[in-house]
Amino acid sequence: MKSKFITFLLIVIIISMPFISPSSESRLETWSKILLCPVCQGETIYDSPSEYADDMKSILKEQIDNGLTDSEINAFWVERYGERIITNPINNNIEILIVPLSVVLIFISIFIRKLYVKK
Amino acid sequence: MIYNTGIIFSWISFSLLIFLFFNKKNLYTEILVRVNLFIQVFLFCLLEVGLFLNDFSLSYVANYSAESTPPLYKFASLWGSLDGSILLWNLCLSLFMYFYLKLYKDPSSNIDIKIFTLIMIFFVGYTVFSSSPFAGCIELATIGCSASTILPFAELVTSNIGRGPNPLLQNHPLMAIHPPMLYIGYVGMTMPFVAATSRLYSRKDKSNSWIEVAEKTTYIPWLFLTIGITLGAAWSYEVLGWGGYWAWDPVENVSFIPWLLATAFLHSAKIQKTQNTLLNWNYILVGLMFLSTLFGTFITRSGVLISVHAFSNGNIGTYLLFGMLLFGLIFIGIGSKNIEYFSKSKKIDNWFGKSGFFVFNNIFLFSSALVIFIGTIFPLIYETLYSRQITVGRAYYDILVGPLLLILLGLMIFSVKLSIRNLNIQKWFNENVILINIALIVTIFTLFLLNNSYILIITASFSFLLIFTTVSNFYKSFRLTKGSNSYWTGQIAHLGIGIFALGIILNVSQSFSTEIELNSFQEFNFNNDTYFVYNTIEESLPEKNVLKLPISNSNQTKYTSLNIFKNSAQQAISSPAVFRSIINDIYITVKFINEDSYKLIVRNNYGVLIMWIGLLITSLSFFPRLRKNEV
Repeated sequence: MKSKFITFLLIVIIISMPFISPSSESRLETWSKILLCPVCQGETIYDSPSEYADDMKSILKEQIDNGLTDSEINAFWVERYGERIITNPINNNIEILIVPLSVVLIFISIFIRKLYVKK
Repeated sequence: MIYNTGIIFSWISFSLLIFLFFNKKNLYTEILVRVNLFIQVFLFCLLEVGLFLNDFSLSYVANYSAESTPPLYKFASLWGSLDGSILLWNLCLSLFMYFYLKLYKDPSSNIDIKIFTLIMIFFVGYTVFSSSPFAGCIELATIGCSASTILPFAELVTSNIGRGPNPLLQNHPLMAIHPPMLYIGYVGMTMPFVAATSRLYSRKDKSNSWIEVAEKTTYIPWLFLTIGITLGAAWSYEVLGWGGYWAWDPVENVSFIPWLLATAFLHSAKIQKTQNTLLNWNYILVGLMFLSTLFGTFITRSGVLISVHAFSNGNIGTYLLFGMLLFGLIFIGIGSKNIEYFSKSKKIDNWFGKSGFFVFNNIFLFSSALVIFIGTIFPLIYETLYSRQITVGRAYYDILVGPLLLILLGLMIFSVKLSIRNLNIQKWFNENVILINIALIVTIFTLFLLNNSYILIITASFSFLLIFTTVSNFYKSFRLTKGSNSYWTGQIAHLGIGIFALGIILNVSQSFSTEIELNSFQEFNFNNDTYFVYNTIEESLPEKNVLKLPISNSNQTKYTSLNIFKNSAQQAISSPAVFRSIINDIYITVKFINEDSYKLIVRNNYGVLIMWIGLLITSLSFFPRLRKNEV
């Protein structure tokens, strides 16, 4: 009983931890992890050490300092480089989540149905 | 000389395999398999000789090696591009064929060697009919060779200098080990495919012998695939200078898909052996494992996708698609012949007992493979439909694969002790309450001052609990030699994965980086340590110019360098200086050098060493299998 109480207490502490020291990521960081460096091979501008990525980062920084919204930033880059530049396609193409999820769900339901035995 | 010998011996190997395939009386099978292995070893050595003698009349040598290439990378150039890597593929395949014949051959029929031969004909056929690493150069380019012939006895021209291997491939010794490991893993997946199809084709008894052979033969490629992927990640971290190790690059994905499928199969095969269930599912898994390796090669080699790894195109794409179709049809044909046998597969009674857990394991592993597969081909489909290019990056995989892998991590905790009957969660909790408490306390202590999120907390506590339950189980039962060898293989692998998961979640959630501009002989502070930067040292090697920048902290001096390769249009490669410790690495790369002022990227990468340790332990899981009675 005592040890169960300890477990309960520990879980409470652990749940409250993100409020004590929350994770912090600047908008610049978030966005530079999203934008693809067009002259590199599949790297984001966050990862790429190239000068090209550097220039893109400084434009991005300016945009964020000027308080552009996410959709404005998105539109700016997509207009110049095409949709390919956004490595996080989820905002623009929701089918990219729907397709795999539905395939996985179909698979799981068939799989379980085949193995299920009524008692 | 090498050109003619190579091409003629490729033809000999091809005709020998054709003979082996149509050989009705099954005479000389063993001798022929041995001769074939010998020829493949000979061809491998022959191309190595060509590389070391700088025989630039061979198109492959002229294009992918140079006189100045250091010996180790000359040796590794053999698999540095498409044609040569098919040669290595053939060598592995003939080795496995011999190995299979010796250890696992079905004594009652010869069909397994026939299927093996057919697969080998397919790959040797490529070097004979389409493009050979021994092709002779008939037209020179400015550097290297621009046109070649695969017919023997042609008039050749010899280039004076070679183009040299891709700079990325000659920057680190790991490049000499990583690809062959992956090849062994990839090619080895042929063995379970052959075992399953051949034994089900000629099945006279109603036994489950195919699953036993398939399971045993899957473990070896699985192990090599694990090591190969690990080395690839380590290479990426050590060489590419971007501070990462896994980019969800298409080529990385296609090496991960067979790994996930093989892992699923290694688990579900256990269930079939003991409870005679999942028969049809196991057959499907074995087939997909093999086809996914062909698909992987297709993605890597056909040039349909942009990637760090993708090289060359030619016509191998169509050739491999044809192969997938051919072997897929054989697989489906033999499967449908056994419908009756598959329908005897038992259903699952206890969804929260041993078999249930293994089914969940399979569901989540297979779903991960499925999601990764869709993510990899999605840009292709999208481009075909809308003629617009999109990139499927990290966010997709984080959202879809992350949770699946997290559930798998949670499931592993229960793997220590599973009974056939349903799990009683109350009883389980009572038995493990001390370990659970310790895991929670350790999690709190580890994460207290870090940037927290629920994903981090859940992953960390799952990992700690997994590590503690596995270790305490080792302490309690290993000396009593309870459990089978494969049980202990699993436990060691799970322990490794637990440690790995801890490392990776720390890395993903805590790492940060900053850019620093400074001059020579200046110092900067980072993460409570002072780093001093000296002046650059210029080094000129035959194949490259290196600009080295020594950086030292209070204990040691490391070099970060810019490598500028001669004969290459690629941009300079920045190699990092890594100050390692068990918790975090300080990873410094130089961005650019201007007179004597520098721009450095300084990264604080958490948990990288923990990840490598975890993966090393997973790779050591073969030890229990070496004990008596089991191969």
